[in-house]
Amino acid sequence: MAANARSGPRIWVTGLGAVTPFGWGMEAFARGLYEGRTAIRPLSLFSTDGHRTRIAGEVPAGLEDALAHLPPKQRARLSRTDGFALAAAREAAASAELELSEHGRPSVGLFVGSSTGGMLEGERFFGDLRTAGNRRLAASRIASQQHSGPADAIARALGIGGPVVTFSSACSAAGMAIEAALRSLRSGETEVALAGGADSLCELTYAGFNSLRAVDEQPCRPFQTGRKGLSLGEGSGVLVLETETHARGRGARALAELAGAGSSCDAHHMTAPDPLGEGLVLAIEKALTDAGVDLEDIDVINAHGTATPLNDVAEWKALERVFGARLARIAIQPTKSNVGHLLGACGAVEAVAALLALTQGSLPPTPTVDAVDPECPANLVIGAARALSYPATVLSVNLAFGGANVALVFRSDKPESS
Amino acid sequence: MNPSPRDKASTADIRTRIKRVIVESLMLEGLTPEEIGDDQALFGEGLGLDSVDALELVLGLESEFGIKVKSEQLDREAFSNVNALAGFVERHLELAGSMRAARK
Repeated sequence: MAANARSGPRIWVTGLGAVTPFGWGMEAFARGLYEGRTAIRPLSLFSTDGHRTRIAGEVPAGLEDALAHLPPKQRARLSRTDGFALAAAREAAASAELELSEHGRPSVGLFVGSSTGGMLEGERFFGDLRTAGNRRLAASRIASQQHSGPADAIARALGIGGPVVTFSSACSAAGMAIEAALRSLRSGETEVALAGGADSLCELTYAGFNSLRAVDEQPCRPFQTGRKGLSLGEGSGVLVLETETHARGRGARALAELAGAGSSCDAHHMTAPDPLGEGLVLAIEKALTDAGVDLEDIDVINAHGTATPLNDVAEWKALERVFGARLARIAIQPTKSNVGHLLGACGAVEAVAALLALTQGSLPPTPTVDAVDPECPANLVIGAARALSYPATVLSVNLAFGGANVALVFRSDKPESS
Repeated sequence: MNPSPRDKASTADIRTRIKRVIVESLMLEGLTPEEIGDDQALFGEGLGLDSVDALELVLGLESEFGIKVKSEQLDREAFSNVNALAGFVERHLELAGSMRAARK
């Protein structure tokens, strides 16, 4: 493994947790991915009347069970997003065999991305308020309406006393959160950090992306010829990150190394990416330098791949500027084709998918409908899973509204089972 | 369930109903109305209620007693314990009664 270009300890990934449209937990996520399925299907959470689309990546039933351990009063105050975040964080901490109470609380940090927070609950509250007349509505229903709700809920439940920070830079929020965790761990501020993102579907984002005509009536098809837009999704992904010294000290196993990260802003437009992709190029180059890896080291790119006609071409151009002709040989993993676009949580769930590939030793097949678009000829894994050779390095990138870009580099010497 | 404000309610009856509102509207698991003392502090060290609970409690009292509580009428004193709350509710019931009488 190449030495880190930056000083500071190596940062290990020691635990993973996920709530996705495939179900509650890592097992459901892994099964869905490796069976090459899409979890994008007719939406039941709210009415789609008046919208061009009827589908989304909706997390199946299980929220009540996930929160059943909490007293009713605490439960009533949490949002759907909080529930996803709590379940993913608990699973991640359990898989890392991390007993948080055994660690100095101030040395444990938490970094969470979220775009919608408790917006769904806010919408339902407002809807009821319009017909409530003089009647007041219970305030607990919107007690966790704010974006920082998921991070606060995790911190309370797991007893995290170090920095607890929420990122809301749209679709790059979770990636930014993971980068911030890396910096905190390297600086010595924390020894352990939970990092990820959580978002639930809500009517504002569903209607908003419909109004922007940025959605596909069929499940989204990143990098394919017939793609017409994105599919929205919901869920949460959480990584347990810790310094190598701390992990070794407690006998924890490394699933992979978070080798580096980089971020940037296009400073260009509210929604459109810089057509030259300079911002994304900068974020990727910063991440590669930070990780101390060369272009030739990258085996897989977990692309942002929203499946809007413009995004995939613009993203491809930026990737081509960084990787040149080599890009054709790098496998592209577009996780949104399985679960949709999880907005503030997408970077976390996509990092979890990339880490699953590193631990399983293979890339899952991408569900495909059409041919790969010659304008963005991604080397997709089609049909059957594709084995990775080790050491293996994955780059995960996200581009956001506002031009905020983030890139993460994960690396592993061997799959988990060997 | 909810008698109209016109009904004559004794202070003891009001206290009992307030305790039921506290347990039900605040979803206090494992606590019965009978276990709440008349002078027991509701917030902080007592029952451990917080500011969100205070909002819920006002809602519960409005619905139980058919009163309307304005935010400027809310003070810490009135919400310190069940005895104080019973006095607060009685004053609102009397006020509601006299307003109805004035309209007749």
